[in-house]
Amino acid sequence: MSDSTVRAEPRPGAVADRARGSRLGFLLDEPRWLSVLMIGPAVLYIVLIVGFPFVLAILYAFSDVTVGSRSLDFVGLRNFTSVLATSKFQTALKNTFIFAIVSQILVMVLATILAIALTREFRGKWVVRLLLLFPWVAPISLGTIGWLWILDSTYSVINWTLEALGLIGPGDWFMWLGVPRLAMGSVITVHVWRILPLATVILLAGLTSIPHDIHDAAQVDGAGFWRHLFQVTVPLIRPIMLVAGLFGLVFAFTDMIVIFVLTRGGPYDTTQVLASLAFFTGIQGGDLAEGAAVALFLFPLLVAVAIGFLRAARRTEVT
Amino acid sequence: MADHAVNRRKFLRTTGVGAVAAGLGANIIVPGRASAQRKRLRILQWVHFVPAYDEWFNKKYAVEWGQKNDTEVTVDNIGIAGINPRAAAEISAQKGHDLFLFNWPPPSFEEQTVDLKDVYQEVEKTAGKPIDLGVKSTYNPKTKKYYAFSPSFTPDPVNYRQDLFGQVGLPNGPKTWDEVRTAGARIKKQFNRPIGVGLANEIDTGMAMRTVMYAFGAHEQDEGGNLTLNSKQTLEAIKFVKALFQEAMTPEVFTWDASSNNRAMIADKISLALNAISITRTAEKQDPEISKKIQLTKALRGPARAIGLEHVMQCYVVWKFAENIDGAKKFLVDYTTNFRDAFVAGEFYDFPCFPKTVPDLGKLIANDRNAHPADKYKVLDDVLDWATNVGYPGYANAAIDEIFSTWVLNVMFAKAASGSASPEEALKEADTACKRIFAKWKEKGLV
Repeated sequence: MSDSTVRAEPRPGAVADRARGSRLGFLLDEPRWLSVLMIGPAVLYIVLIVGFPFVLAILYAFSDVTVGSRSLDFVGLRNFTSVLATSKFQTALKNTFIFAIVSQILVMVLATILAIALTREFRGKWVVRLLLLFPWVAPISLGTIGWLWILDSTYSVINWTLEALGLIGPGDWFMWLGVPRLAMGSVITVHVWRILPLATVILLAGLTSIPHDIHDAAQVDGAGFWRHLFQVTVPLIRPIMLVAGLFGLVFAFTDMIVIFVLTRGGPYDTTQVLASLAFFTGIQGGDLAEGAAVALFLFPLLVAVAIGFLRAARRTEVT
Repeated sequence: MADHAVNRRKFLRTTGVGAVAAGLGANIIVPGRASAQRKRLRILQWVHFVPAYDEWFNKKYAVEWGQKNDTEVTVDNIGIAGINPRAAAEISAQKGHDLFLFNWPPPSFEEQTVDLKDVYQEVEKTAGKPIDLGVKSTYNPKTKKYYAFSPSFTPDPVNYRQDLFGQVGLPNGPKTWDEVRTAGARIKKQFNRPIGVGLANEIDTGMAMRTVMYAFGAHEQDEGGNLTLNSKQTLEAIKFVKALFQEAMTPEVFTWDASSNNRAMIADKISLALNAISITRTAEKQDPEISKKIQLTKALRGPARAIGLEHVMQCYVVWKFAENIDGAKKFLVDYTTNFRDAFVAGEFYDFPCFPKTVPDLGKLIANDRNAHPADKYKVLDDVLDWATNVGYPGYANAAIDEIFSTWVLNVMFAKAASGSASPEEALKEADTACKRIFAKWKEKGLV
């Protein structure tokens, strides 16, 4: 059965097949085509998973579609104008800005501190790096449910500890998710906890890319810690800081998981943000068109912010 | 050596062939996938609060029904929070389950569902008329369509601490909302156990606040589906809840989710809650001592009436795009006419919408071996008379559904109770929101 004992005549068409095979082989060996072939699935993935739903959301926002209907009648800006005047929307809009901006400021400050600390050599550094990544790699909903228990009105471990230390009495427990300012503080804290690893890793990558001789030169010139930080380190990593900031801001403006799990917008809508309002209106309430309008409301602003950040990053790029 | 080297071309060819084989393999190896001739019925429903119910439904009832009807029945259980998103996804794909269970009336899905009038008629032949609550949660009088079918509902009685209420002169629990307020204030002061009626963005609060409203003669709409929220009665109900909060509750109720009142009651933190029998059932299993102290009472009387809401409304729909519509309808008829088994398997969590399907209901609940005392659940023997639907005295329509789902009334009561708005301001804001929602759905032709 080996080649040496059995020699069959080539079947008709085999030569053509071989030619086709070699053409395919040529494509695989050609970097220009191979790059298209390799990147194609990723592009397709983005188009199908992100692009298609996004276009659909735009269509929905200008239509009268409901969760139970499939007909799309164009209604212009009616969904936007209708929802814009409602107090619920105005509260959610205000909360979205507070949530996104405060959390992002905290993330950038803490991530910078952490990243600088992690560039230093110390014992157990890899453990710290590993622990730091946990909030990012853990499923968001699971992590947030953990926080739900930490902040629970009956079983809060924070309140329990404070009481055990004698700092609060049995009847003085903090209602972390029940008082507007505490609730907003809580959802911002959990969001910061979740986003911090990503920002830290991005900044860490930026810090380690700075040539060491620049630090040496600054040291020789007698720059102290703060001057070194603000006049050498931060300017050099500013482009990457802007990218980290952009990621964080987009996450904060568009995400609803933390709020959905912890407060569902409560107490009395004081933590309701546009993303959660869009979900409650569109999916739970059935008005898909209005939900899409709420969700897309900040899209032009986010595009402008993204363009601004990326331009600034390019301008400050160190060559 | 050259033969074993993996070059780029070889790698891509091998992985490509592997991927295609993996994709096709299942169809080649498992011929059943390609040649299934047997009928299939796919059911989706929530993970029931009582695990024994899922055990019975999935492994016994559905299997036996499948054998009798030469049908392969598959049951998928998902968390209650995933119900609406899953329904939206199935509609979008025009593919999914044949029988889909919502735990609340789903009027905004009406255009995608089969009219189940014939299922009602078929069941009525053997089980008699359904209760008003069942019809009002599944029928749209505007389009004259039964967009869903409800075999059962979960009552929402008052769970109270008998030991605490006994010490303030109400050993059989409160009978009126006024008693809850006065006795609750005393219990809070003397025993540091506040009343636990939620004021948060969650379903239990939605039910409890409507219970208060309806007892005070206030409603979101009238029988004809016209908005009636802005009334003297609603204002009175808001003022009552504000007083109840200030005198007998703590800000804890602003933080709650749907399971918080269960936990707080079992943890000996509150004196009263409105909930399904999930509190007592959990207590029986986790803490028999506290279970003995928690008793149930009927709907509380307000200035207008004594009325309670359903806690969970089991509403099955059959999608227009379902592949086995006839099978789904037959399953519903058979399941409902044999509802007694479901009632027992669910440990009395779900009550029948067709009372005749459980003829010995009173006897069953009057003697439960897990309850302390054995007749603890006997108070529910006339629940079919005092439980009503969201949207009472009208139907549970799409506008009512959106008002419920976006927490409009929860926020109205919570704002007034917390003092962040006056009762008048809170009512005005909610009324404006409701007007807009009603106008929107009227324009869409569903209200």
